[in-house]
Amino acid sequence: MPTQTRKSESADERIALLQGTLDLLILRTLLLGPHHGQGVARSIQRQSEEVLFVDHGSLYLALQRLEDRKWIRARWGVSENNRRARFYELTEKGRAQLAAKTSEWNRLTEAMGRILNGTTGARNEEV
Amino acid sequence: MFRRRRSEEDFADEIRAHLELEADDLRGEGVSSEEARYRARRNFGNVRAAQEAFHLRGRWVWLDRLVRDVRFGLRSMRQSPGFTLTAVLTLALGIGANTAVFSVMNAVLLRSLPVADPEQVAYLHTSNPPNGTGTIDSNDTFSYAVYQALRQRNGALSDLMAVGLLSTSKIGVRIGTLPEQAEADMVSGNFFSGLGVRMVRGRGFTPEDEAGSAPVLVISYDYWTRRFDRDPGVLGSTIFVKGVPFTVIGIAASGFEGVEATHSTDFWIPLQNRLPFNVLGNPPENGKLFENNPTWWCLRLIGRLAPGVSRTQAAARLQPIYQHAARIGLGDPMPGEHPVVLSFGDAKSFTGDYQDMYGKPLRMLMAMVGLVLLIALTNLIMLLMARNAARQREFSLRLALGARPAELLRQLLTESALLVLLGGAMAWAFAALATRVLARWALIESSLAPDHTVLLFTCAVLVVSALLLGIAPFRTAIGGGAELALKTSAASAQIDAGKSRLGKAIVALQMALCVVLLVGAGLLTRTLYNLRNIPLGMNTNGLVVFGLNPQTVHNQAELVRFYEELQRRLGRLPGVESTTVMSERIGSWWSDNSDVTVDGREGRAADGSTIVVRHNDIGPNFFHTLQVPILLGREFTEADGASKHPVTVVNQLFADTFFPHRNPLGHLVNGFTIIGVVANHKYRSMDEAPIPMCWWDYAQGPGEGEMTVEMRVRGDDPLAILPSVEKVVAQMDANAPLIEPMLLREQYETTISQQILFARLAEFFGLLAIVLVATGLYGTLSYRVNRRTAEIGVRMAVGARRGQVLWMVLRDSLVLSAVGVVLGLPLAAVTGRALAASLYGVHPLDPLTYAVSVVGIAVVALASGAAPALRAASIDPLAALRTE
Repeated sequence: MPTQTRKSESADERIALLQGTLDLLILRTLLLGPHHGQGVARSIQRQSEEVLFVDHGSLYLALQRLEDRKWIRARWGVSENNRRARFYELTEKGRAQLAAKTSEWNRLTEAMGRILNGTTGARNEEV
Repeated sequence: MFRRRRSEEDFADEIRAHLELEADDLRGEGVSSEEARYRARRNFGNVRAAQEAFHLRGRWVWLDRLVRDVRFGLRSMRQSPGFTLTAVLTLALGIGANTAVFSVMNAVLLRSLPVADPEQVAYLHTSNPPNGTGTIDSNDTFSYAVYQALRQRNGALSDLMAVGLLSTSKIGVRIGTLPEQAEADMVSGNFFSGLGVRMVRGRGFTPEDEAGSAPVLVISYDYWTRRFDRDPGVLGSTIFVKGVPFTVIGIAASGFEGVEATHSTDFWIPLQNRLPFNVLGNPPENGKLFENNPTWWCLRLIGRLAPGVSRTQAAARLQPIYQHAARIGLGDPMPGEHPVVLSFGDAKSFTGDYQDMYGKPLRMLMAMVGLVLLIALTNLIMLLMARNAARQREFSLRLALGARPAELLRQLLTESALLVLLGGAMAWAFAALATRVLARWALIESSLAPDHTVLLFTCAVLVVSALLLGIAPFRTAIGGGAELALKTSAASAQIDAGKSRLGKAIVALQMALCVVLLVGAGLLTRTLYNLRNIPLGMNTNGLVVFGLNPQTVHNQAELVRFYEELQRRLGRLPGVESTTVMSERIGSWWSDNSDVTVDGREGRAADGSTIVVRHNDIGPNFFHTLQVPILLGREFTEADGASKHPVTVVNQLFADTFFPHRNPLGHLVNGFTIIGVVANHKYRSMDEAPIPMCWWDYAQGPGEGEMTVEMRVRGDDPLAILPSVEKVVAQMDANAPLIEPMLLREQYETTISQQILFARLAEFFGLLAIVLVATGLYGTLSYRVNRRTAEIGVRMAVGARRGQVLWMVLRDSLVLSAVGVVLGLPLAAVTGRALAASLYGVHPLDPLTYAVSVVGIAVVALASGAAPALRAASIDPLAALRTE
């Protein structure tokens, strides 16, 4: 079965999401417009070029958590292919959170990058 | 609880929608319909887990579990009401007794005065004051001159307060029309401000109140509650104190009941430089009241240390000032006289032997009651172990069904916590009741009601108990393991010999503790018996005593007239055999001591040392009324009062000391002629050693208004005469209540109230220990007999006689007890040693006490072994074997 082979190969290259990053990804995805849960999952997987793997159970719990915090709101609607689905959209609070979390994330990755690449960088400067 | 806005169904719907959408997408990618649905589901992962997580989201999981455990616990408690009742009662008694004793200890020893920054407050003590001074208490009272000198700005103290007793007992006050008694103190103007005691209403005293002897008065919160029902209108009203009107200006903060840990003051007045408010109600000495009399050391002093100054530093800084002030009005010290030394003590009590009186015995009691709790807890542990052994099948089944040991432990802890909580609530109620009884026994007037500290103590005991009771039986509970659930035989489930060894060890330990408690109780009971049977040297049957402080009396002649008339009227009451009066109430700890001159020379012993003689002023018929034998001569008559020839009566010890082998009649004491010698008898307290005494005729003395009346009354209830006495007194003085009327016997017993308290408590603890140990032993033996039913059946089937079976069980009980006794006796000896200071007339190793205790244990062992032994002996071998 070719599909299975592809799956097991890619599973090795996938990265389990760090604690808290899923929230950020959901918010970012919803910035583009309302989505249902399955759409969010697909979107994250596609945009990360299948590198990030989203556990669906965790996704729905995360959605619920964000809803409880009033960063997103949800209502039942109908999908493009006429399925009943629960659609999520960003609230003002969510937008603010996204901005804050994004800059926080950028600073974190920059710092991480500086440390992780620091040795080579330092040597280059000496030369 | 947390309100969920979204239902679980809705969440499930969403997941279903997700799976459909995912399947749609997959189909769009060319996957077959069947395969798409399968893969959507597989990609999702564990749907159940997600739903469970959703369910638990935001919930207090532990609370959920707790509710479940509590429900389960309550159910299993209901299933065995006998066990529950026993356990809760055992806990209530064990913990309640501890709480009660701790309350007393807290109130008397630990609690600091309810004042601002109590650690800065200290009581002033002195070495023996200079020769030539009169004191109330030789190490705790100071003259007004000393007070004035020490209260000047000195850097060591930020405030110095003074307290003067108005009387040795209560004083007469009148609020409405009838006179009544109250406990009152006279205090300096800075008393409340210096101590930092707030007023709930009105104001405290000011220095001006003291300077002007202002007729104002502050009542305690307790008195306000007790006497005035917290009527705010009491402010501004008038209270007649010793017949003088005072205005109520303040109500002190709740909890402040004066400066003596075991006393409760009803109200305070400022120091009064006028009659009739001389300290102790004394007449002026050479025309001087206490404020002008530097040789009358009668004030208790309380200092507030200046910030950053220690007690030692303060004492050092004040020493020169004190030593100078102490000589005011006394002239040069006698050769060899030591200078006085000032020191600061805890703000607890002015009574010097306070620690001896309360401290050590209370700590001993606390230890004893702790042992009771230990017995109670071990009892419960055994009960729980037996119960859990019986529940092993239940636990095994639950383990087999997948319960983790941690969950079982949690449940056991919950069950023990429930028991402890129920027991604790009952214990608190029991303790509240017990402290009231204790206060009465110990004659402690201050409030013993449990406070925060006590609550904290009780909670700590409860937590420890709950943990012990939950953890200790845990091993038994899971000991069976999951596989036990598969076994069918009841007997085969009970084979762990180690468990029964533990049970035996616990029983032996309990027996040992019981021996300790019984010996302690025995020693204290014998002490009390000995104290009560000390011959007082008088006949107290039918003797009624009460204090009187007539305000209509202003001089010696009026005083004598008043009491002679009073006695004539009292004598006419039916049942009254004879009456007399005395200045100092006998059997009340108070005494008036000094050295005397004999035939003009200073009274000295053969070795030249000064001999202290005790005095009292009495009326005619004193020894006749008390039925103290008159050995030589006669006692005072009314004629002595009228004549100007001063006379005295001495006791036998006085005669033997100063006139060995000579007739003392006709000799002079302080210039008074000895006219009689009476037998030695107890004066101040029940257990005092005899001391040389002399009595003066009150009609010849300086005349104090306050006297104690003694009357011998026929009949079974001598106190029944009091209402008629009150009427007689009221006709003569409307402001004079009967002060502390009681039987003379009771009056003397107040001097052994601590011993009475300790003996009664120890008896109670001993009894409690016996009951607990007996139930524990009974439970253990019954349990073992039940477990051995099959074995005993076999024994009997192969020829054991019933007598042998009976003995087998009883022997078990006796062997355990014997081991306990062997362990307990040395412990008991240690306890006896520790109690030695509290014992009277009984040796700490008193063989009788030890023998009785051991016999008591043996009786307990046989009694609690009897029922299980009989049950074992009546086992029908056939029936027993069939149960297998």
